[in-house]
Amino acid sequence: MSQTVLNNIPQLPADALFGIKQRSSRDARDFKVDLGIGAYRDENGRPWVLPSVRSAEKAIHEDPLYNHEYLAINGLPELSIGAAKILFGEESHALKEGRIISVQSISGTGALHIVSKFVAKFLAGRAVYLSEPTWANHKAIFKTQNVKTEAYPYWKSSTKTLDMDGFLGAIKSAPNGSIFLLHACAHNPTGLDPSKEQWPTILDTLASKEHIVIFDSAYQGFASGSLDNDAFAVRLGLEKLAKSCPIFVCQSFAKNFGMYGERVGCFHLVLPQQDANVDISKINRAISSQLSTIIRSEVSNSPAYGAKIVAKILNSPDLTKQWHKDMITMSSRITSMRHALRDKLVELGTPGNWDHIVSQCGMFSYTGLTASMVERLETQHAVYLVSSGRASIAGLNKGNLEHVAKSIDEVVRYCSKDAKF
Amino acid sequence: MDRSKGIRTLGKRFFASIDKIPRAPPDRILGLTEKFNEDRNKKKVNLTVGIYKDAWGQVTTFPSVAKAQRLIDADLVLNTDLSYLPITGCPDYSEHVLNFLFKESCPLSGPKLLKEGRVSFTQTLSGTGALAVASKLLALWVSQTVWLPQPSWSNHRNIFRSNGFTNVKEYPYYKDGRITVEEWLDHLRSAVDKNSKTRDCILLHACCHNPTGLDPTKEQWKQILDTIHELGMIPIIDMAYQGLESGNPPKDAYLLRLCLDESLYKSWPHGLFVCQSFAKNMGLYGERVGSLSVVTPPFQPETKDNVDSQLKQIVRSIYSSPPGYGSRVATMVLSKSFLKMQWYKDVEFMVSRLSQVRKEMHELLEWPSLIDFDRQHGMFYYTGLNPKQINALRNDYSVYMTMDGRISLSGINDCNIEYVCKALKSVTKTI
Ligand SMILES: Cc1ncc(COP(=O)(O)O)c(C=O)c1O
Ligand SMILES: Cc1ncc(COP(=O)(O)O)c(C=O)c1O
Repeated sequence: MSQTVLNNIPQLPADALFGIKQRSSRDARDFKVDLGIGAYRDENGRPWVLPSVRSAEKAIHEDPLYNHEYLAINGLPELSIGAAKILFGEESHALKEGRIISVQSISGTGALHIVSKFVAKFLAGRAVYLSEPTWANHKAIFKTQNVKTEAYPYWKSSTKTLDMDGFLGAIKSAPNGSIFLLHACAHNPTGLDPSKEQWPTILDTLASKEHIVIFDSAYQGFASGSLDNDAFAVRLGLEKLAKSCPIFVCQSFAKNFGMYGERVGCFHLVLPQQDANVDISKINRAISSQLSTIIRSEVSNSPAYGAKIVAKILNSPDLTKQWHKDMITMSSRITSMRHALRDKLVELGTPGNWDHIVSQCGMFSYTGLTASMVERLETQHAVYLVSSGRASIAGLNKGNLEHVAKSIDEVVRYCSKDAKF
Repeated sequence: MDRSKGIRTLGKRFFASIDKIPRAPPDRILGLTEKFNEDRNKKKVNLTVGIYKDAWGQVTTFPSVAKAQRLIDADLVLNTDLSYLPITGCPDYSEHVLNFLFKESCPLSGPKLLKEGRVSFTQTLSGTGALAVASKLLALWVSQTVWLPQPSWSNHRNIFRSNGFTNVKEYPYYKDGRITVEEWLDHLRSAVDKNSKTRDCILLHACCHNPTGLDPTKEQWKQILDTIHELGMIPIIDMAYQGLESGNPPKDAYLLRLCLDESLYKSWPHGLFVCQSFAKNMGLYGERVGSLSVVTPPFQPETKDNVDSQLKQIVRSIYSSPPGYGSRVATMVLSKSFLKMQWYKDVEFMVSRLSQVRKEMHELLEWPSLIDFDRQHGMFYYTGLNPKQINALRNDYSVYMTMDGRISLSGINDCNIEYVCKALKSVTKTI
């Protein structure tokens, strides 16, 4: 009887990324490089507050009406309306036809979590298909709501390209009305996106099977520096799927505003086009009320501070302009680091082809380094990355590039020598 | 095969599942706020939401918080890093909140708990987030039955239901202007089996009960905890208004102190859950700053580690990590002694204004319970008005209160007190 119920709780393994951070901060070597982190660093390896964010912060603090009052359950409308516009485009048919329901969420994760609750409640029995590989948290987000997940082929490691046949095959063989999660741009962890020629085929195939699509948009503007460019797949998806099924869109402002810790994001539910006799506003209200109930039960209402900053930037033309510049600053630095790393590896004559580093986009590169190479990078060279071989390009800078390239060169040569036995 | 036709008919079928989604009932409190915002009567008064407003009807930032904000703004380190916080929150925040809750608020028993490493701590999205994370953990591993006071904050049921509790029960708390401790405990004794294999949780409002504003006396709490302890129940302490009773935040943690008094309760063998919020006592409502502390039983260090790891997994799958700004502000206030003193003054000032409102309303209405300061605490006052009277107040006078008859005293000030009291008088006389 005195045995306590709490004793039955098993301990779980620590988050892999967190482990890297812990080991690297304990590492006593002078020169260390952390390529594990999923956050932008400037050319000095430091976190960077966007000038647009800084200005918005000032403006908010100076506003005599600024206070800390609760936001509405569904969040700040200036945020969610502005957010929908940049993602779907001012000219979006779905926006004009009032087919989009938008609510604020706790960044991208919170939006995905809303989807998983929604699926568990209203679309029970359907599996969610995730790319193989995908962001480590995707599976957990659905699993904790008892939503079944399946994998679809995505990355062909032999060629380091998209496994288009496998992908389309999975779409076709999944039961009609399954749910497919697509990375809107800058696929995490591979950094490899379908081309503008491949997207229409993928989306048409999804539509033909009546699959429901979740777009996870965590890197809009961060990937290429252009909001429109990075919204290509989402906007095409809204057109291609307009007649077939609803679309869930999860939008994070962590990376493109550099405000990771303020947890700003939105969730959008896009309804398909309706017959003339259907009252769309009634459906909107019903869904919106269900979303409120979900949000109310977990956080009551979303955090205000970051939301006000993003809303301010989206609704002030000057700040918007500055923000566009800031995104170019980040994306162009990352692109130049990609080229520098590839060029250096070519110069060193490192065995293998390294062009994929340049053709991939966003924060990450799936380097193709094996787990043992990654381990050796850490133990011998104090270069930290995830065991899958994913490197955060944002962690590179002029000061550490040479060290990283030489270290990669060494481990590749060392491990391929081993492999001969 | 006509493919496009196939798509259309299929589309309807799948769409139909979303089409069938019913409208969820609006949140009782925030729904009224929406109505209020649409009301065009210039004299309208909103007495629904539990937000503190000053004597001019404004929501203002506490002086301590405003100073903390300025310090953060001028701080080069705090200001250049908007990185992700760790999953369970900022370490500085944890340290200072733990000190506040377990050293300052519980000086006799708390420090020992911290030293023994028995408190599993998570920064949460305010009090709601703490309750949500706690209920997920409990429902997954410990218990799916919880007892709530009747009446209680309207969101409690929603939180527990939505996070895995299959059984949400109620204990009688209030009747005709008084707390029904006897009925409450009799009810538990007859309904809860202490020899059962499963444990029941019980939610307790630490002070300033919402919505009634009525709390048990210290003697009654002792009696209540004795029963709960004996029945092997798991206490979930909801501390959303610490400081709003006495004006002194540490003082108001009396329920927590009592629970942790080892001379009375050697331990809570199934854990003790403390859900704490800085929404009301620091005025950080919308910034979502709070915490969950799970006090684990003695001599089981592994239990605390296991709880830690589970909480991490839960948080990671709901929202990854908590928002930073509000917690930076709270940390600043708690860590600088001059700000902390200012904060205590701010709380005291707020509470004295609320008492003043009670006194002035009493002068106009002569309702004795308004100034029953031993039992009536906090921002809320239960009028006992019936739904008809409440509707009349809203329709005829544009005075908004929740349908249970609760008013938020902070919505009352010099400009509207006479109008509100006249309206109250008139509907209670005529309807
Ligand atoms: C693919 C993907 N989706 C969603 C997220 C969510 O991030 P956040 O919750 O910080 O917005 C991330 C972050 O790393 C991501 O890589
Ligand atoms: C009893 C009670 N618990 C918890 C809360 C949670 O509030 P928050 O999530 O804003 O901290 C409230 C707020 O009204 C409350 O009244």
